[in-house]
Amino acid sequence: MTALLSMESLTGGYGDADILIDVSLHVDVDEIVAIVGPNGAGKSTAMKSVFGLLTIRGGKMLFDGDDITRWAPNRIVQRGICYVPQVDNIFREMSIHENLEMGGFLRKGDLSAAYDRIYTLFPDLKERRRTPAGSLSGGQRQMVAMGRALMLDPKLLLLDEPTAGLSPKYMEQIFQICRDVRDTGVAILLVEQHAKQALAFADRGYVLAAGRNRHEGSGADLLADREVAEMFLGG
Amino acid sequence: MDLIELLNFYVIPGIVLGSIYALGAVGITLIFAILRYAHLAHGDLATFGAFVALACVTGVGIPPLAALPIAILVTAAVAVGIDKVFYEHLRERPKIVTVMASLGIALMLRSVVQVVWGVDTETYSRGIVRPEDYFGLRIRDRELYTVVALIVLVGALQLFLTRSKWGKAMRAMSDNPNLALLSGIDNKKVVMLTWVIAGGLCAASGFFLGYNTEIKSMMGWHMLLPMFAAAILGGVGRVEGAVLGGLIVGIAEELSVLVIPSEYKAAMAFAILLFMLLVRPTGLLKGKVL
Repeated sequence: MTALLSMESLTGGYGDADILIDVSLHVDVDEIVAIVGPNGAGKSTAMKSVFGLLTIRGGKMLFDGDDITRWAPNRIVQRGICYVPQVDNIFREMSIHENLEMGGFLRKGDLSAAYDRIYTLFPDLKERRRTPAGSLSGGQRQMVAMGRALMLDPKLLLLDEPTAGLSPKYMEQIFQICRDVRDTGVAILLVEQHAKQALAFADRGYVLAAGRNRHEGSGADLLADREVAEMFLGG
Repeated sequence: MDLIELLNFYVIPGIVLGSIYALGAVGITLIFAILRYAHLAHGDLATFGAFVALACVTGVGIPPLAALPIAILVTAAVAVGIDKVFYEHLRERPKIVTVMASLGIALMLRSVVQVVWGVDTETYSRGIVRPEDYFGLRIRDRELYTVVALIVLVGALQLFLTRSKWGKAMRAMSDNPNLALLSGIDNKKVVMLTWVIAGGLCAASGFFLGYNTEIKSMMGWHMLLPMFAAAILGGVGRVEGAVLGGLIVGIAEELSVLVIPSEYKAAMAFAILLFMLLVRPTGLLKGKVL
């Protein structure tokens, strides 16, 4: 079976500097894949490359049968990849419901089925749908951000450090939501600072260091790998 | 001086002047929020709108209030045109470039007005209008129309911003431009809508200034500072704040005559602007920090 997303020997960065060097990874349908690694390893950059946000100088990116290597972000969104940035990922002054509505901006026709789907995933949000998103707690904001991205019914969801700054309780909740989202048929590629927790919950993981692939495997295998543990997970 | 006199000679003219400022300040605040620069041609755009209405009144012979919708439409179209021809090309450059360009547009607009209509003072209708008496309050019809126009136009704008898909898209673009683009919102359409609304309200502002006083080629330029003071006082990006700010600046200008010589009336707006920037730069209703 071919992968939903496959990044093949990608080299690129911002402007003239290459941040990613020969990075390869893939995400299958119904899979949660985590990218971990030390600060400055190029984790977020790898994710942004999927979304067409950097200059690619080598390699290619295939998604669901299309070569999307040099596509503009808005075309990629319509093709079925949605991106949740790490910061500023909600419309603070707009209500939860309006955030979702903006997420579904490109969809024509009736959105009520899409709203139902999001509110089933995030029951907390339904009760507070008229509340301005900026007044919510960190975990709930992350739910709004994910909900906004899911409104377009993507095949792949990109999450940039979804648990940054959250308490362990919320971290577990976000991970659980990721599993629920996956079970509705949406693959997830996420970047995580909390490497141990992320590898424990993801189906597969990649360890990046200095912009290159270092290790890959199932989450459990990576956690059990002594070199990975010593170098990247703090022993 | 008794209360009724204070209301008749200071507060009511203040509310009327404030409504005129508010109509312009709403446009300024929207441009600040969505395009993120100070639009210095706003006053002269208002002058232009006032003269378009004058052309309809003197040329076609329709009553002033009937000329208002025409002036709104023409000025909105001109605002969109100015953006397409000038500002659009500067969008990727530092914002200060556009601010300076808007100063150039201000001079151009004023020159066009002076070339086409001359530099003389004009009026929509001749003769003295006597105010009506409402339980001791003396209000002219045109003053009433000014305030009603503010309520109707801003009310319609608020409905548009909170109920319609494109109105919400404007708020989204103001709130978080990157995320708006990630969501697939068409930036160009939002910018165009912003100019239609700002230009239309601007024309209404100029029209009512001319309707209540006189029409002069410098009238809009002199109104620029109070309009900016109103937008900042209310909180940048806040439509209801711009209305509140406009009313406060207008009333403060009229009341200031009680304590300082009337030649210094215009300094009130400047004092308010300075004070707000020092003490509470987010404005009364927590707008964006500039």
